[in-house]
Amino acid sequence: MRDTGVRKTYVEDIDRSIYDVKDKVNASFQVEKGLTAKIVNEIAIKKNDPEWMRLFRLKSLQVYNRLPMPSWGPSLDGLDMEQIITYIRPDTRMSAKWTEVPDDIKNTFERLGIPKAERDYLSGVGAQYDSEVVYHNLREEVSRQGVIYTDMESAIHDPVYGPMVKKHFMKLVPPEDHKFVALHGAVWSGGSFVYVPPGVNVEVPLQSYFRLNAPGAGQFEHTLIIVGAGASLHFIEGCSAPKYNVANLHAGCVELYVGENAHLRYSTVENWSKNMYNLNTKRALVEKGASMEWVSGSFGSHVSYLYPMSILKGEKARMEFTGITFAGKGQSLDTGMKVVHAAPYTYSNISTKSISKDGGNCTYRSSVKILPDAHDCKSSVSCESLMLDDRSRSDTIPVTDIQNDNVDIGHEAKIGRISDDAIFYLMSRGLSEEDAKAMIVTGFAEPIAKELPMEYAVEMNNLIRLEMEGSIG
Amino acid sequence: MNTTFQKINSLPVSTWGWLGVNGTDVPAEIPEIVPCKKENKIVRVPDSVKLFSGVLPVPELETALGTDAADFVQDHWNCGITAVVPAGTRPEQPIFLSYHMDESNPAIVDRNTLVAEEGSEVTVVMSYLSKEGVSGFHSGLTRLFAGKNAVIHLVQVQLLGDTCVNFDNIGAVTQENGAVDIVQVEFGAKSSYAGCKTRLLGKGSRMDYNTIYFGDQDRSLDMNVVAEHAGQKTNSEISASGALLDESSKIFRGTIDFLRGAKQAVGHESEYSLLFSPKVRSRTAPLILCGEENVEGQHAATTGKIDENKLFYLMSRGLDELAAKKLVIEAQFRPATEKIPDDALRRAVSEFVEKRLNKIESLSQ
Amino acid sequence: MSLLEIKNLRVSADDKAILKGINLSVGQGEIHVLMGPNGGGKSTLVNTVMGHPQYRVDEGSIVFDGKDITREPTNERAKAGLFLSFQNPEEVPGVTLENFMRTSRTAITGKPVKLFAYQKDLKGKMEELGMDGEYASRYLNVGFSGGEKKKSEILQMLMLNPKLAILDETDSGLDVDAVKIVSQGVEKFKNRDNSLLVITHNTKILEYLNVDYVHVLMDGKIVKTGPRSLIDQINEAGFQQLAAAAAG
Repeated sequence: MRDTGVRKTYVEDIDRSIYDVKDKVNASFQVEKGLTAKIVNEIAIKKNDPEWMRLFRLKSLQVYNRLPMPSWGPSLDGLDMEQIITYIRPDTRMSAKWTEVPDDIKNTFERLGIPKAERDYLSGVGAQYDSEVVYHNLREEVSRQGVIYTDMESAIHDPVYGPMVKKHFMKLVPPEDHKFVALHGAVWSGGSFVYVPPGVNVEVPLQSYFRLNAPGAGQFEHTLIIVGAGASLHFIEGCSAPKYNVANLHAGCVELYVGENAHLRYSTVENWSKNMYNLNTKRALVEKGASMEWVSGSFGSHVSYLYPMSILKGEKARMEFTGITFAGKGQSLDTGMKVVHAAPYTYSNISTKSISKDGGNCTYRSSVKILPDAHDCKSSVSCESLMLDDRSRSDTIPVTDIQNDNVDIGHEAKIGRISDDAIFYLMSRGLSEEDAKAMIVTGFAEPIAKELPMEYAVEMNNLIRLEMEGSIG
Repeated sequence: MNTTFQKINSLPVSTWGWLGVNGTDVPAEIPEIVPCKKENKIVRVPDSVKLFSGVLPVPELETALGTDAADFVQDHWNCGITAVVPAGTRPEQPIFLSYHMDESNPAIVDRNTLVAEEGSEVTVVMSYLSKEGVSGFHSGLTRLFAGKNAVIHLVQVQLLGDTCVNFDNIGAVTQENGAVDIVQVEFGAKSSYAGCKTRLLGKGSRMDYNTIYFGDQDRSLDMNVVAEHAGQKTNSEISASGALLDESSKIFRGTIDFLRGAKQAVGHESEYSLLFSPKVRSRTAPLILCGEENVEGQHAATTGKIDENKLFYLMSRGLDELAAKKLVIEAQFRPATEKIPDDALRRAVSEFVEKRLNKIESLSQ
Repeated sequence: MSLLEIKNLRVSADDKAILKGINLSVGQGEIHVLMGPNGGGKSTLVNTVMGHPQYRVDEGSIVFDGKDITREPTNERAKAGLFLSFQNPEEVPGVTLENFMRTSRTAITGKPVKLFAYQKDLKGKMEELGMDGEYASRYLNVGFSGGEKKKSEILQMLMLNPKLAILDETDSGLDVDAVKIVSQGVEKFKNRDNSLLVITHNTKILEYLNVDYVHVLMDGKIVKTGPRSLIDQINEAGFQQLAAAAAG
């Protein structure tokens, strides 16, 4: 390419000032660093667990100790479980009024725009700070429809929903699944419980926001959503943390039960700080005629392992996955998805994009499995990766496993950089080289961005804008 | 002799173990390896190609099946050639190597080393056959060194019987503007492990890899193809195409690996597999690994039943369903079989498929 | 003074010389036609004028509107009032035609575009070109047919109103009706002040235009320049004979 005097200046980092405000750690209780039966017991007692849960935690700990670290994926060498504080309770009780939330915590959520979003366009909000939920509220008209949206701790102790939690808790994602979900089983705390009764259509989304403030801490929230037959829900999950020099760990677990002919859309925007190990597990069980939609944006964390899984259990169950991953300096984001077609006439459609920049590593990893009796299935996968410089990496590791012949499976992957011809074309219409590149990258992300909740899409475009400004050549 | 080959056909980068595609430990019962008899092999080498009986010092080379499989051949080989195609020579006739296993010679372990010097071009045709009912064992190691502007065409045809085990291990390296053009026909054996790893070292060098496979009964096929782009403007084209019937299964791994510095490299990979029975299993792992910005990598795969429209079209022209399906399968193999430069061998390949298709009931379902 | 002044332009791509000393001068208000066999260097010339990174200027200069733009980035040339209608316009997924034109117009005029007036303007021009209004919200050129892409180029020309518009085979691959619409669009654009440089293989697009000069570009050189009547000579005799005559 002709030298047009391209500036090779690199922006330091994106503007994370909103996320980076650190509150003084003001905990009412925290466990010691590391992971022992004593610590796990202490968490159970402090949280006033029912006995079954205490035993479940101890069993999970045994599984954790037995299972090996993953033999694939980005390095976890920087993660030392001996240094992680697994439970840290903020000095407040859960409230349904923002005015009752302590000022420093409330201010943090104000900066993140959560109370405003609640007023503007949400049916309900849950806000977790370190290990416990500090705020949970559901609009009255939604509550009148019989919808339950509460923190997991309240649900477990509820006479009506307690048994429902017990019946479903870590049944879809058992602790044996992998080491970090076993860890979750042992030390989980916080998260949300949602129940939508059959036939109820929740028109306005619910949102849970997870904020990890304390350095060296872990967050292990558990989200359990049950959508009854014919019901529908849009659930939004947001996460962030300020940046510290020590490793933080997030190992949440999300279990979604989508009843017959029900519809669930689960949107996530993950913007953890770049010292975070994000080892999250999400899974949906999709019954007959139901549809599950995942929308996933991964921008933050130092290392991510994230592959939402859908089990299409009933005939004509459907799954759509739309995801974008943007890895910058110091980030290894290993993301993707898993789907199991376990019934006939099931359908899955996967579309992902990734952008690697400034030494960042993106990996797309997936598994599409069609079981022997799942005839007349259809699946199509499309993944596109964009490389913005030659210090970055982008790997695509998809696997399909097809166990019967009556299927229609398509897969395509593309990797490359911004084409010189496209830049020239845009420049010939008056755009500067930087603007042309930013426009192409924004356009690349657009089909995904438009699926994100509005304010996240705007944020994502700003983020791309900031990342691109004067940064590449 | 009993042994277990470790980590056969490893993926260059691992993924979830439960998918079973990371690489396989393969236990094997190996019949006694005796020196290969004259009547079990045909070797024809054009005059201009130099044969070496001793050891030719060549650089270390990675292979698709891995070091365990390669070391086994280095330790136990009983046939094969070491040949140099001198600079600038382009023998008209191919190097022709054909091995036939029978009771007296049930193990073929061939080690082949081929060096194509600057500006030379050569075709190598290798075929592996067995007498019916013989529990044969074939393990081959073929190493290709394509020099500057040199081209090596390699055609490997494996038509072993249902009681045989097969290992076809290829490693290649290409210098500036050199090329390897490989066709692997994987039609036979009870279980077969085949693959090719090419290091595209020199600027402008290329690899064309074309495999066709065919599975019926309970046969299994395990393949691994890697194009490692080290040099600038290197090019790889990987194409795999096959049909699975009855209770057969296959794993196809195809990796395009762009190393940093492989500027303007281009890699394409496509897989097309046709499934003909509800009991088949088809696993595919098409990887693109990329550490360089200025590259273009693409992959596309389709798996499923025969296209209904195509079938309808053929049947509207008077073919019955079985005939139409056979036609489609044969058509799918043709681009690769046409590259077999030997009439008799090409016929043998068609007859092999024809015979098997005629036996097959699942096609008419 | 000429609007575009190209002097002794020598250009290469991949170390291969393509243009071997081009001199061309386009005055304000003039219409020039550039003809010649395929591979002769027509597209190279106009892409070099626009600053395509693939082409290296080895010698010579390009002066536009009194300013030497030989080394200017492409967008500065656009801002100066140059427009190139591409032979194969790029597809840009994720960016709508409407948003793109707004961004582009803002970049070129340096002034914020008034949204309502802009939308009205765009809609009107699309109607003139017989383009469905729905195209405004489609991604730029993505999935457009050949004809729609060319119309989109002419639309952009009308929206940006350049001083010199270069049309690189804008009429190729179009059916009779589309050629007519495109030519009418070009005619509408043309006024006393602006200029046109048209590459074409056929004369349909020139029907409504007052061509001032015709140039024949072969093997990297302009071998003949003449009035409109030269086109008829070319159509009768062909390029080769013409070149031979010119050389002789």
